[in-house]
Amino acid sequence: MDYSKFVFAVQHNDRVTINEYVPIIMSVLIKFLKVRQGAAHHDAEDCAQNTIINVTEKIKSDELKNPDTVIYYLFTTAKNEYYKYLNRIKEGNYDDVPNSFVSDGDQLSKLLNEERLKILERCMQLLKPNLKEYITHWFNHPRDEAAVVADHFNITVNNAWTKKHRILKILKECCEKKLAA
Amino acid sequence: MSDNKIDIYKRIDAYIKGSLSENEINELWVEFAKRPELLEDLELEVSVRETIKKKFESEIKKVSKITSLPSWTWHAAAAAVLLIVVGIQFFQVPSKSNLEQFLVNSIKSDQLETSDGIRSKDMMMMKADSMLNLGFNEFVNGNNRRALILFNEVISEYDYEPYGSKAYLNKGIVYYNEASYDSAITAFEASLIRVDDSKMIEEKAFWYLGNALANTQKYEEARTAIYQAYSLEGIFRKPAFLLLQKLNYDLGYSEAESAGD
Repeated sequence: MDYSKFVFAVQHNDRVTINEYVPIIMSVLIKFLKVRQGAAHHDAEDCAQNTIINVTEKIKSDELKNPDTVIYYLFTTAKNEYYKYLNRIKEGNYDDVPNSFVSDGDQLSKLLNEERLKILERCMQLLKPNLKEYITHWFNHPRDEAAVVADHFNITVNNAWTKKHRILKILKECCEKKLAA
Repeated sequence: MSDNKIDIYKRIDAYIKGSLSENEINELWVEFAKRPELLEDLELEVSVRETIKKKFESEIKKVSKITSLPSWTWHAAAAAVLLIVVGIQFFQVPSKSNLEQFLVNSIKSDQLETSDGIRSKDMMMMKADSMLNLGFNEFVNGNNRRALILFNEVISEYDYEPYGSKAYLNKGIVYYNEASYDSAITAFEASLIRVDDSKMIEEKAFWYLGNALANTQKYEEARTAIYQAYSLEGIFRKPAFLLLQKLNYDLGYSEAESAGD
């Protein structure tokens, strides 16, 4: 995604391009807050919304121009918005945003979606037995290096990665088909 | 698939497995911001992992599931079991052959812990590393006494991490293969007390400790150790799962997971 186009669109008030970019950026920020900060979906949505408003104002006032800086600013602002929100719900136990905030670490499980899981389960049942065995082995042995898996299946390390990716692609396509149906 | 793509998928894989540093995670999120379609790949992988994990756990529960019955049947069943047990006590010696099928007979030499290699910072190998390697050589050549002497020397001179846990684990392996299970248990427990930052050593120590305990008929303790090995989700997960099921069955537990309570 080209953030320079987003910056340009905001500077020139190009509503069409802005409307194209905002939902994508929102989606990234929501997932970031859910996974990295453990935010609930609704809270993450609010904070992401505030972040976008804040960032567009900064771009309009020419304080943000560099696309890479925009990405970092988006994440930092989203995080601060969330801390501010946490402070508010703590009913002013402390006045300022804390300098450091200890989160519970990444919560990748926040990305899970029940409907998607059910569909995925069906798609996995449709996988060819050898592919199913491969992907099951991969995830059941999380501490094995790819080289160990490659050795187990008697393939090269590069092929081990390619095979894993190919299976995930099959599953992704299957899920998309079933979701669209 | 291009090297660049493989690299990003490797990073996603490492992220899911929890092996990225904070900086690497932050860098990866910048990649996600630049290429939001990668987030879909992350979500898919997390979902696949979860689906496989759930299936694995449901298999565990399926094996040990107890169907709910009216209470009177339990009294009747208890009485029947009591009669059978009394009968067995009188007429039969219980067979352990089934359990033995699940236990490690002999531990391979590649399970011994040796040096981590030359450290890049100081470009030198510690004496303790060399002693561990020498002990490994002695063990491979069948000189168990020499191997034990070397591991004991590591313990007396370098009883700090990672050497302490490694040396005790190796001692335990030597004793296990000599069927000196009590000494093996003491050594594996000592390794577990010391291990600081190595899941591999921890997993090996729990797995072989569980086996040694089972070999000495300490089934409850064995079950706890095997459950720990199973929970570490490493290379012994499958055999640990099978042994855990067997122990659960023999001990009359209904839920495999309850061992961790």
